Amino acid sequence: MTSIRAIAAGAAVLASLCSFVAPAKAQTYPTRGITMIVPFAAGGPTDVISRIVTSHMAQTLGQSIVIENVVGAGGTTATARAARAANDGYTLITGHMGTHAASVPLYPKLAYHPEKDFEPIALLAGTPILILARKDFPPKDLEEFVAYVKANAEKVNAAHAGIGSVSHVSCELLHAILDVKPVGVPFNGTGPAMNALVAGQVDYMCDQIVNAVPQINAGTIKAYAIATAERNPSLPNVPTTAEAGLPAFQAQAWNAMFAPKGTSPAIIASLNAAALKALDDETVKKRLLELGSVIPGPAERTPEALATLVKNEIAKWSPVLKPAT
Amino acid sequence: MELFANLAHGFAVAFSPINLLMCLIGALVGTLVGVLPGIGTIATVAMLLPITFGLPPVGALIMLAGIYYGAQYGGSTTSILVNIPGEATSVVTAIDGHQMAKQGRAGPALAIAAIGSFFAGCVATVLIAVLGAPLTKLALAFGPAEYFSLMVLGLIFAVVLAKGSVLKAIAMIVFGLLLSMVGSDIETGASRMAFNIPELADGLGFATVAMGVFGFAEIIRNLDAGAEMNRDLVQQKITGLMPTRKDLVDSAPAIVRGTILGSILGILPGGGAVIASFAAYTLEKKIAKDPSRFGRGAIEGVAAPESANNAAAQTSFIPLLTLGIPPNAVMALMVGAMTIHGIVPGPQVMQKQPDLVWGMIASMWIGNLMLIIINLPLVGIWVRLLRVPYRLMFPSIVIFCAIGIYSVNNAPVDVILAGIFGLVGYWLIKHDFEPAPLLLGMVLGPLMEENLRRALLISRGDWSVFLTRPLSAVLLGIAAFLLVLTVLPALRSKRDEVFTESEN
Amino acid sequence: MADTMGHSATATRNTSVAIGFCLLAVAPQIFEFIWSIGTIFGWGAGRGPATVLISHATALVAGAPGALIGSIGGDTKKASSDVLLALIYSYPIFAVAIVTLFMTIRSAQDYVGGIVLMALALFALWASSDLQGMRGFSFGAGTAPRMFGGLLVGLGAAIALTGLLTDGPSMAHYSWRGPLFVMASIVFFALAIRPLGVVVSAFTSFLIAAMGTHETRWVETIIVGACLTLGCALLFPYVLGLPMPMFPRFLVQ
Repeated sequence: MTSIRAIAAGAAVLASLCSFVAPAKAQTYPTRGITMIVPFAAGGPTDVISRIVTSHMAQTLGQSIVIENVVGAGGTTATARAARAANDGYTLITGHMGTHAASVPLYPKLAYHPEKDFEPIALLAGTPILILARKDFPPKDLEEFVAYVKANAEKVNAAHAGIGSVSHVSCELLHAILDVKPVGVPFNGTGPAMNALVAGQVDYMCDQIVNAVPQINAGTIKAYAIATAERNPSLPNVPTTAEAGLPAFQAQAWNAMFAPKGTSPAIIASLNAAALKALDDETVKKRLLELGSVIPGPAERTPEALATLVKNEIAKWSPVLKPAT
Repeated sequence: MELFANLAHGFAVAFSPINLLMCLIGALVGTLVGVLPGIGTIATVAMLLPITFGLPPVGALIMLAGIYYGAQYGGSTTSILVNIPGEATSVVTAIDGHQMAKQGRAGPALAIAAIGSFFAGCVATVLIAVLGAPLTKLALAFGPAEYFSLMVLGLIFAVVLAKGSVLKAIAMIVFGLLLSMVGSDIETGASRMAFNIPELADGLGFATVAMGVFGFAEIIRNLDAGAEMNRDLVQQKITGLMPTRKDLVDSAPAIVRGTILGSILGILPGGGAVIASFAAYTLEKKIAKDPSRFGRGAIEGVAAPESANNAAAQTSFIPLLTLGIPPNAVMALMVGAMTIHGIVPGPQVMQKQPDLVWGMIASMWIGNLMLIIINLPLVGIWVRLLRVPYRLMFPSIVIFCAIGIYSVNNAPVDVILAGIFGLVGYWLIKHDFEPAPLLLGMVLGPLMEENLRRALLISRGDWSVFLTRPLSAVLLGIAAFLLVLTVLPALRSKRDEVFTESEN
Repeated sequence: MADTMGHSATATRNTSVAIGFCLLAVAPQIFEFIWSIGTIFGWGAGRGPATVLISHATALVAGAPGALIGSIGGDTKKASSDVLLALIYSYPIFAVAIVTLFMTIRSAQDYVGGIVLMALALFALWASSDLQGMRGFSFGAGTAPRMFGGLLVGLGAAIALTGLLTDGPSMAHYSWRGPLFVMASIVFFALAIRPLGVVVSAFTSFLIAAMGTHETRWVETIIVGACLTLGCALLFPYVLGLPMPMFPRFLVQ
């Protein structure tokens, strides 16, 4: 036993030497490092946005924020874990459209409820969704695309990155609006799906702007429209769905920060303030815009606005998505 | 001679002191983590990705590339020394590599793996620089039908590399295929054979199963009463550290063949590198004068797959650099690293980011050089590790494996699953089933099923696509030929009856 | 290991092999029963032990034969999963167990190996029995598992057949000490890493694993274990920056 204690003591000394914790503000939250669960792999859009924002928030809060990537089941494994975590403000999660809205109709046995098990903190950034097609797909613009898909619903192939992925969910919305049921060809992630689109093996897909911009600029694929209210600075020539004649198709892969239910309002307020400060920072803003992200406007930034967003999104996706048994 | 100008530019970038340092750190850290049992290349890169975020983009990617092939080198070390392949590409290395270690030839095995990898790395780097753009077409020519046929071919390779009964090898592959089907169905999202266990929703991880049936099972078996004698013998038998002249002569052609196979297959997105390593092994076994040496410590059985997987690791950068599309999980992480620095790779990344692309290509060569300089002296240390008494070694391996598996996903259930697969592996050993075909079935299974279903979805249920598409037909033809070649002698006589002594 | 080619005394062991298969035939049911005991203490979700016992017993004794007769009579009412388990998994293995009694096993290693693989395949067939099959031209979720499950049943049977037709090794010797303590060490680590942190769980697991062999000398084991723990505690959370708790949760707060 003495050896255990000796090691513990030794390790504790080393721990204090190694940790680069900024001088803590006495007795006020946060007094130690915060863990931010990201329900997707490192390097994905949600992870990148979380890292950009939290690295600035850590300066404001005076404590480190460690990102823990927990992958699995479309992000729901991680979200379930976050829902069960202590509500002391030291375990947070970056949720997104999938984990905090589309999962509700998709997984009937979901181990948490986005509204009941979480305290919303702040909306971070959204990634617009585009309608993309192989470069030699006959339709020239969105109107022709709609007509073509409706006329050839039996023949066309829509690629997506797996059940529950943003590309799957958003194309389901598109198909519901067009009232067609084309064959959906599943791929294992956006990379392989994009590869198939570039190679012309599939006809079209809906995907987040991040990966698509360089391909569109190089002319290896084409974009019909962007499903946001305004055009995106990184793709000024791509019209919005409203401009191109399909205003009903509005979708954005939003990312937002949540805490487990019951976290004190004071903690939520300080985290919200830190997040907003990060979003207003010029470098943070620039890096997010480089990714094609949309930064929320003043009205969308309160925890209440996020709560409303979650509610509306669940209502939006529920009729569109069938449960994956 | 734009090429030389580009390469010169690349070397100028890579030779800047800061980038050299990044490359060295990456190679060192990659080796260090890759050598920990339980952590393979993908896990290493995923785990270390965040530490590159604070660096300048070119330096970060050079370091990450260094981690990638450093982990590749390190991964083969655990396969050879303790029979624990960190990822699918080194499963084959474990077969003959660990046998060599048991015969006291761990040194030559490790050295030849490093030398083969270095040669393959050099060739592949030149290949990327010279032929990167034209080779891209290959990546685009492979659709679902071609992939399905390639995977069928891959499964046939898995049969060939079995050293015992063909029937048992096929059974193990099918068992692996069944295990790979646990988790969500790709097309419908339905949960298959997951028994409502949330951790199984995404299926069994490769590392979890590999750690179990190779690592833990080997440990448990070594603890059997009566096994001490074998272990002690191994420790006394250690001979030279470096390969002999004969070893080098034997393995040189294998290295060349492995490099060629690896370079070609590495370009194919998804599964290319895995197939490369055992295609190389199968080729060596088929053309060898005495195929029965394979599985019993043939040095070609280490040299060929190690060269192939390193060549494939390098050429898998081609689709990323020319198309901007990540061909595998590691490359997807690379894209993530670029994204966080505000660079999103696309078809024009070579023109738009010459510093990054050519710097990275040049650094690959430098990294490989560094790795061989780091690894050859390390061989002595690794071999000395084998002299550690087993009573101290095995609990250490257990702990490292447990922490390794845990850290891949931060999931305690994965650790328990690996333990259960350890018991399964122990049972398999007792009934003379080989774990390698099982793992290969498990890795190739999902690729085969998904591509079959994709191909049938696109063709609207027309099975003839597999024969009407020329590439696919050729691959299936080779598969059928190999199968006949393997099964016929097995039917004629029960193979290898001379060596029924179980020495697995 | 040297000479495992014996044909000795295989016939006499047939009864024990058959009994083993009978146990195997109800292994999933027994496992669920043991698991369900946990629900009494509120661990995990699922059915209580009484429900499990009654429903499996009725499925085995009455439900499955009923469904079997029913299906012959053209009754297509969907059977419950317990009945299906009995029908798809347990009955075939009971049948194999009975057949075993009348066989001369020439290689127990192959015979038992083949039958257990067959059992695994039957279990997979049961586990995927609730999944959808072919839907028009496209595969359903259940198509591939059923295809390969069926194939593995065949392969397992073929391996078992070689065990009957050709001479080979008999059953190998299993030891209990190594598997037990190595498993205990792994399970302890998995349960302890989150609440207790790297230091405590790694060190304790090291000691538990060391109990797996009688060769262990405790003084050196404790020293090596301590050094290893220190190394891991520095390497993983600090050098590699992995999110991993260091010390027990109650000490940190």
